[in-house]
Amino acid sequence: MQGYIYPNEFELQWSLLIVVYPYLTGLVAGAFILASLARVFNVKEVQPTYRLSLLTALAFLIAAPLPLLGHLGHPERAYEILMTPNTRSAMAMFGFVYLWYLMMVLLLEIWFDYRKDLVVWSRGKTGVLASFRRLLTLGVTDLSEDALRFDRRAGKLITIIGIPSAFLLHGYVGFIFGSIKANPWWSSVLMPVVFLFSAIVSGIALMLVIYFFSTMLRSRPVDMACMDKLGSFLLYALIVDFSLEMLDFTQRLYEAEESISILGQMLSSRLVLSLIILQVLIGTIVPLVTLFLVAPTVRKRGFLKVPDEFRRLLYFVVAVFIQIGIFSTRWNVVIGGQLFSKSLRGLTTFKVGLLGIEGILVAGAIMLLPLVILYILVKVVPPWPDAEAVVESELTGADPVPAVQPS
Amino acid sequence: MARPFAPWRGFAAMPQQVRRLAVVIVLLVAAYFTARHFLVPRTFGEKGHYRAAAVDSIAVLPIHYAGREACAMCHPAEVAKKAGSFHRGVSCEACHGPEAAHTTDPIGHKPTAPRDRAFCVRCHAYDPARPTGFPQIDPVLHNPVRNCFTCHNPHDPTPPRPPETCAACHGEIARTKAVSPHAQLACTECHTADPRHAQAPRQFLPSKPASREFCGRCHASDAPPPAHLPDARPPKVDLATHGPRYVCWQCHYPHYPEAR
Repeated sequence: MQGYIYPNEFELQWSLLIVVYPYLTGLVAGAFILASLARVFNVKEVQPTYRLSLLTALAFLIAAPLPLLGHLGHPERAYEILMTPNTRSAMAMFGFVYLWYLMMVLLLEIWFDYRKDLVVWSRGKTGVLASFRRLLTLGVTDLSEDALRFDRRAGKLITIIGIPSAFLLHGYVGFIFGSIKANPWWSSVLMPVVFLFSAIVSGIALMLVIYFFSTMLRSRPVDMACMDKLGSFLLYALIVDFSLEMLDFTQRLYEAEESISILGQMLSSRLVLSLIILQVLIGTIVPLVTLFLVAPTVRKRGFLKVPDEFRRLLYFVVAVFIQIGIFSTRWNVVIGGQLFSKSLRGLTTFKVGLLGIEGILVAGAIMLLPLVILYILVKVVPPWPDAEAVVESELTGADPVPAVQPS
Repeated sequence: MARPFAPWRGFAAMPQQVRRLAVVIVLLVAAYFTARHFLVPRTFGEKGHYRAAAVDSIAVLPIHYAGREACAMCHPAEVAKKAGSFHRGVSCEACHGPEAAHTTDPIGHKPTAPRDRAFCVRCHAYDPARPTGFPQIDPVLHNPVRNCFTCHNPHDPTPPRPPETCAACHGEIARTKAVSPHAQLACTECHTADPRHAQAPRQFLPSKPASREFCGRCHASDAPPPAHLPDARPPKVDLATHGPRYVCWQCHYPHYPEAR
């Protein structure tokens, strides 16, 4: 503790789990927006990540409410937020935004996209997995050209609806912080926008890591055109995100409200590691410079000619750095907003615990859980291009078969 | 030939996907409303966003507190004494504990009377969050070991001797001023307090500087150094041009001027 703080500011009420929450929802929104790039804007190069992005978004979305439930306690009461909707509470209404996004966007889009494959994979098979896949088709086994065209068109329509929904999903998180007017670190109309773009950055970076890692794990060749495109998208998103953050920063500095001096003190003492080193340097400047030099953006081969093997490794490292940076961003928003006193005259300290519901172990477990869910999802509905069912054969009258039998 | 997407042709004409999904969605919506039917309490929303019957279920909880009127019926002398003291706003049971049982069985249930120093300092230990003027002491330094009630009657806690320093009640201001550029100025440099302020603080309020010239005695550009602090170099301003429409303390907090 330093300077003067009010007695109720000594202990932070929003702790590590509340840091994890916007981090996870950001990844959901980001992964989905990458998927929609492939779908709506027809970016051919990132097609290999399309299905993987959808499944990743779903896996992270399922885990996203857990930090909130853990933080609030009494998870058995969570359903009440949906049973008795309170239209005057943004947090309560978010339950419906979440539900809309889960049920009407993600699950529907995945269903339309996989229906053909589910039918093909389960046809004539027995066993738990095949039965489960058959159940997932909802009995819609029509593989005619019309039906498949309808699937594609419906999927595209849902993606188009999904983009504003994904914006709403993560914009809401920024909205909650941005609308806390008593807190000068949070209260900013730019907050939802900044959150959104950092979500896109983190989502693309996550997909880069997962795509690279899963391809390596399956001993398949990494599609460098896809990696290069992801790298350049990452650079563009990072530039917008960084510009917005700098705009926010400059505005605060120029506006110089009475809080500026304590916020300056906080930046130069409590947040040196997490904001200046991790968020700005490791999470933004280093990736920006690296991507600018190696990603094919202005020049077709990038400014530095780097062999493919090294370039994809650079992308991977940059994406990991970005994840560290974005997690620090969430940390700096959530924890930073509670480190200074509302008297604007003092700073408190925060030490994260190891055990307990708000400790590192629980937070770590919640952050690993989406990867476990993703593993299961990938087993049920493989997203790999080579596992996709070839239904063109349907037109010639032969039985459709997957190119490679999924496990 | 591709069948155009035309939902207006009726349910049967819709693609199979839409029909199946519609069934699933209808089932889910029905499940939601069925769940609402069974899970939302009957009286929810009657009076607001809560279960109205909660009021009744709270009303039947056992009563622990008797209320001050019940005390006044048998203990008029103590209640009258307290009513004229600084503790007039403190309920009897705040110190004596919940005593509804005492009202039904006065002999069997005797109220407790706190005799421990730790009890009084719950309210009267120095805490910067407490309002200024609220009597606050440092429990370590203030007549150590002795029980509070040896000097203060809890029913009329006016101290036997008036506080000797302003800091006895205005601890937060004293502590703030102690680390400010005004540390060496006595409170009486700027405030004049009627001696009766120590006994009846709200009836006899101390004065505050009412003019810019008052601060100007030290801070005007042509002001000489303060007589009793010849080495002091207070910041100077031109009173004619520096915020002429305001009294100084409207912008500068005198107990911690130019807080940084």
